[in-house]
Amino acid sequence: MPGGEVRLVVRHVTRKATGWLLMIVVATNVTYLLASFFLDPRSNFKDLRPVRSEAQIDRALAPYNLDPRVPLVDRWWDWLTSVVLHFDWGRSPTGVSVNGEIGYRSLVSAELVVLSLVFSVLAGVALGVYTASRQYGWSDRVSQAVSVVVFNVPTSVAALAVVFVAIWLNQHAGLHFLYVAGENAPGVQGLLPTVGDRLLHLILPTLTLTLMGYVGYHLTQRSLLLDTINADFVRTAQATGLTRSQAIRRHALRTALIPTATSVAFSVPAVFTGAIVTETIFGWSGMGSYFIQTISKNDVHGTVATAAFAAALTAIGAILADVATVFLDPRVRVS
Amino acid sequence: MSPGAALSAETHAKETAAPVLSVRDLRISFPSEAGTVEAVRGISFDLLPGRTLGIVGESGSGKSATAMGIMGLLPPSATAGGSVLLGGRDLVGMDDRALSRVRGRSIGMVFQDPLSSLTPIFSVGRLLSDALRVHQDLTRQAAWERAVELLDLVGIPAPRERAGAFPHEFSGGMRQRVVIAMAIANRPSVLVADEPTTALDVTVQAQILDVLRLAQRETGAGLVLITHDLGVVAGHADDVAVMYAGRFVERAGVDELFHRPTMPYTARLLAAVPTVDGGTPRPLVPIGGEPPVLVDLPAGCPFAARCAVAVDACADTEPELRSVPGHGEVACLRAEAVAEGLLDPSGPDAPDAPAPAPAPAPGTGPTRVGEVVLRVEDLVKTFPVTKGGLLKRRVGTVHAVNGVGFELRAGETLGLVGESGSGKTTTLLEILRLSRPEGGRIEIAGVDVGAQDAAERVRGLRRDVQIVMQDPLGALDPRLTVRRLLAEPLQAVGQDRTSILGRVEELLALVGLDSAVGDRFPAALSGGQRQRVAIARALATEPKLLALDEPLSALDVSVQAGVINLLARLKRELSLAYLVVSHDLGVVRHVSDRVAVMYLGRIVESGTTESVFSDPRHPYTRALLSAIPLPDPRRERTRERVVLEGEQPSATRPPTGCVFVDRCPLYRVADDGTRRRCLTHRPEQVRVTERPDHQYACHLA
Repeated sequence: MPGGEVRLVVRHVTRKATGWLLMIVVATNVTYLLASFFLDPRSNFKDLRPVRSEAQIDRALAPYNLDPRVPLVDRWWDWLTSVVLHFDWGRSPTGVSVNGEIGYRSLVSAELVVLSLVFSVLAGVALGVYTASRQYGWSDRVSQAVSVVVFNVPTSVAALAVVFVAIWLNQHAGLHFLYVAGENAPGVQGLLPTVGDRLLHLILPTLTLTLMGYVGYHLTQRSLLLDTINADFVRTAQATGLTRSQAIRRHALRTALIPTATSVAFSVPAVFTGAIVTETIFGWSGMGSYFIQTISKNDVHGTVATAAFAAALTAIGAILADVATVFLDPRVRVS
Repeated sequence: MSPGAALSAETHAKETAAPVLSVRDLRISFPSEAGTVEAVRGISFDLLPGRTLGIVGESGSGKSATAMGIMGLLPPSATAGGSVLLGGRDLVGMDDRALSRVRGRSIGMVFQDPLSSLTPIFSVGRLLSDALRVHQDLTRQAAWERAVELLDLVGIPAPRERAGAFPHEFSGGMRQRVVIAMAIANRPSVLVADEPTTALDVTVQAQILDVLRLAQRETGAGLVLITHDLGVVAGHADDVAVMYAGRFVERAGVDELFHRPTMPYTARLLAAVPTVDGGTPRPLVPIGGEPPVLVDLPAGCPFAARCAVAVDACADTEPELRSVPGHGEVACLRAEAVAEGLLDPSGPDAPDAPAPAPAPAPGTGPTRVGEVVLRVEDLVKTFPVTKGGLLKRRVGTVHAVNGVGFELRAGETLGLVGESGSGKTTTLLEILRLSRPEGGRIEIAGVDVGAQDAAERVRGLRRDVQIVMQDPLGALDPRLTVRRLLAEPLQAVGQDRTSILGRVEELLALVGLDSAVGDRFPAALSGGQRQRVAIARALATEPKLLALDEPLSALDVSVQAGVINLLARLKRELSLAYLVVSHDLGVVRHVSDRVAVMYLGRIVESGTTESVFSDPRHPYTRALLSAIPLPDPRRERTRERVVLEGEQPSATRPPTGCVFVDRCPLYRVADDGTRRRCLTHRPEQVRVTERPDHQYACHLA
């Protein structure tokens, strides 16, 4: 790519990224308002003994910027300024810092979501391409049947099945690296052992999420490629002297990948939702379990921070998709 | 080489080089649900360097399968037999890898639809350099340089700058030039062009045929030109093979073939082509019936069922292609009789007289011209051009229709002619919209559709105005039977069950369809039958005005003539008014009483069909008429033609003066004063003396 084109690509991506940043800001603020309306931190204190008066409860909430007597606009403004100026996402109704909770959890979850997304795309697209070039062959039929079955299994069931299989493998094959709970083992020291330990813990949850995610890519990529595989331009490419498989690889596949790249961005929220269930089953303390916890505890700030995290993940996915599109489709660079 | 010498391949083999391509008994079949389709059933020919073999046939005759068979581009499910010898090697039975070394290097191919035959995500320079680098060991830089040279050769203006542009930035004609450049990139010895100009406008078609000829001269390649258009073949082929039901039924030098077509099918096909030349249009003689389905063909000549001169023996054995003195090779038992002029292939009943026409030609018969059904005055329609994703900005305006006006009376046909983008379809759709136009006035059956108080009467007009679309397969709901398709408009206007049933039968009879067709689905009908259903459906509510949008362009020539005659009969019997939109001047000439030629949203010339076709005044009309290839090789070679340069400009910024000024041959030779007038003043409609109905808008003509 010549220098001028690189500049164009950078400008294109920057413009897109700015748009997404704006989107995150809007989504987060809307979530704040919605959460403030529907989550009532006072109810956390209702069951406490001795019974507290309304005023007591409100006073207890006041230091955390959750006092319902303060107008919503003021609370919102305080929250916003602290997020923007100090990147402080506030505190829970019991005074626990949101930043302290999400700092570690977001890393754990991002790791899980991003890895499984990458694997789903790779596996799904590869399978889609493989089966599209063997349309109606037995490998096409079998893999399609498997995909349809997997598609209809709920995440929780799939995760449990993965756990059972892993335990069975551990017992029968003498394997001891398939961890079915937690995101790391206690007491591991040193950089390399820590990284290795974390990766081993990642295997099963990532596998589960990949199983949940790949089907969509398999089926859509298959039909997208089938649409272009018989396109006139593939025939033209063959007429210039490419073999059929070369023509498909260089001309049909690249064209058929463009819609997939776009759709990756918008599958991040779905992966994240899947991660909530997966994290619960594998006993991870990630953003998914935090999300459920904050909602059930009427933790406005925690909920909003989780939403912001999901929005950020979506934006990252979208920007990556844009970069991929730019590389796949040079037309974007010109226009 | 004298055209008279173009007899058969054997003659040439003696006097010129060895054939570059020899096809022997090529057979191609495809599996289908109904059984094995034998698309090509044993064809043989030799192609000599620098010569052009035209293969003519209707859809389903196997001509495209032949092209794919030669190129080795058949789908994997197809089976091919026989041999295709190229440079001493047989391409049939070669695997894809071996074939890929031949394709592009020894054979180049030009496809039908330039809009879809270029990969959209690569620049044309990249496509061309890739095509070069497949076979030649070139650096990226050298390949790009060569690509620019090739683009220049095929006539892409500013090739160095345009090489970086993507296919969507080119017009159809320009894209076809790129496809030709790709085909000749490695200087192949054989070029195969499959309907190379079918998707293009007629003035662009003339340019592309010239480029193809240039490409052939440049490479010295033999060209296989596959087309359904007999005019294209007449002007560009040395030898012609006529294909029917997967076989060659006649093969001869172009002059012999057109001088006296010997196979009855060829003769009837020629008689069914609507042409633009000559005086009064001769009546078209349709070939009855439909081409056979190529599954389990019965014994005997496949054309026998449609042939007017068939004898009993024709049904027993299929005749082989055999040499007939002076007429190449013909596959017909009665070829000698036809060749000697003893037998008229149109039928034994009329040996000398003109062929019996089921209906007199329109325009010649007495047409009862009644009250004005449609009056359009100064019609304007614009479309906004927007840019940007989320917030659309208006960056321009397309002036699709720009001050169009005409009148149409009952019992009369007006043909709107023009190339794509001239605004003819937009005009039609604006009329059918039945609401206040953006500018100007539309009056249907005396009702101004834009008037405030006319809402109720306009609703009543819905049944008075009906449309017949270009593609009947797309226009008819595939899940409704013909009977239900015809009943639907009647239900919509609230008729009761019994009267609907009666009317449906009436409609079927009216368009010449058997009552049994009523139970079938559109997919089970032939193209001609489908278009008849579409016409019957339009006629259901007894309209006064029928809008026909390219009504014949989806039909084969042999079927077209039947629909043209049907339309003429219906007009006479029901005194309908037709508004026909078409790019095919031959068709328009045969169906219209009056024509209006459109260019860039304006009518540049209008008048009675006779007057406009015999004495065109506007330079655009002249160019349009002369661009149409005539199915007569002698006249096609000798006549003077006005070849327009360039293509119709975009209607975003129409010129302030005459719309045709960019491409006008008269403007180019005019003096400065006149030129200025052309550029700044929009020409008024000028009436032709003594023919007040004929008018044109030109300062110079």
